[in-house]
Amino acid sequence: MTTAVSVSARRAVSTDRRLQIAIVVLCVLGLLDAGYLTYVHYAGVKVLCVASGGCETVQASKYAELAGVPVAVLGLIGYVLILASVAVRGELARAAGFAIALVGFGFSAYLTYRELFTIHAICQWCVASAVLMTGLVVLTGVRFLREPAGEYS
Amino acid sequence: MASRTKQKEEARARRLAEERARTARVRQQRRLRMVTGVVLGALAVVAVAIAVSSGGGGGGATGLETGTKLAQTQTTVNNLLSGIPQSGTTLGNPNAPVTMYYYGDLQCPTCRAFTLDGGFGQFVSNEVKAGKVKVQYRAFQTATKDPSTFQTQQVAALAAGKQNKFWNFTELFYRQQGEEGTSYVNDKYLTGIAQQIPGLDLATWRSARNDGTLAAQVSNDVSAGNSAGVNGTPTLIFQGPRKTATPSSVVPSYSDLQQALAQVQ
Repeated sequence: MTTAVSVSARRAVSTDRRLQIAIVVLCVLGLLDAGYLTYVHYAGVKVLCVASGGCETVQASKYAELAGVPVAVLGLIGYVLILASVAVRGELARAAGFAIALVGFGFSAYLTYRELFTIHAICQWCVASAVLMTGLVVLTGVRFLREPAGEYS
Repeated sequence: MASRTKQKEEARARRLAEERARTARVRQQRRLRMVTGVVLGALAVVAVAIAVSSGGGGGGATGLETGTKLAQTQTTVNNLLSGIPQSGTTLGNPNAPVTMYYYGDLQCPTCRAFTLDGGFGQFVSNEVKAGKVKVQYRAFQTATKDPSTFQTQQVAALAAGKQNKFWNFTELFYRQQGEEGTSYVNDKYLTGIAQQIPGLDLATWRSARNDGTLAAQVSNDVSAGNSAGVNGTPTLIFQGPRKTATPSSVVPSYSDLQQALAQVQ
């Protein structure tokens, strides 16, 4: 009995570990992406655009800022907070990580809608961030909703 | 005896199972409340963010102005363009050694920003007025959603150009752009802009709007832009006697424009 519990607890711990690593990886990619867009915003240089050149249109549109704050900066803050939530133990931190990812995901979905239907231009940097946020909301969600390891042992 | 012990054990096991089930239920309810709280909280934050993003801001694009605000805009545009020759879509000395090709979309907010916050005004007042460079506008669809609206609005500007008031129309339009993505450009709006241009004959302007050559000119502009590799507006191409140059910033400042001019002179 005892061995069975400890084995399952260990397995649960390692699943949590894997989730943490995946979240960290996505956050780091997100930080690079949002960091680049923040740099572009303040340096006033043109965005490196692989696709049809919609990045400038998107960056120059009014949706690139929220109450005067560039959305790239908001993304940067979001990724930092999710990263921080992984570093802290406990259910509250997991809930916070999930909540921030959910906000990031919701706002990214709205921005993607604006890109497609209002601005009519797509910026692959923003799409990349939206994809990362989608991954993060799934990972932090799973991590939050799973029965926390060790609570039964 | 044995059966009584067994019964006791069974009863205990039942109690234990019930207790465990109750604890599990309570824990589940707590988690459910927490999940609901997190999801609702996140939704509320997103809703506020969307409301802030969708409403207002954006440099106060509001459409046709009236009253003192309109009077100010008209004065600014008249002062900017007075004393500078215009011919069709060309602003400035026709014999200027350098031409700045300006690819624009009248509904493009970045073009508005170039006029309001960028270096365009100062450049017109100095370099263009001095005859060092002329500006030639070319239509290129970016921000305007509907291709037929794009065609209509650009032709309306070219129709003002028939009376050599193209730049008055364009500058007034940029300064009174509506909310991006809304269909504010209609006949009433375009006529409203035309009426603000001092000395424009409205009847002539109206009939010029049906001129097929102007529609063809818009298509030619777009083709020229495509073959020049234009992929956004405003795109500025400085054409000098030997070289061409393009400012690298999205909304070029006055010094960006001066640099580009110096490169091709």
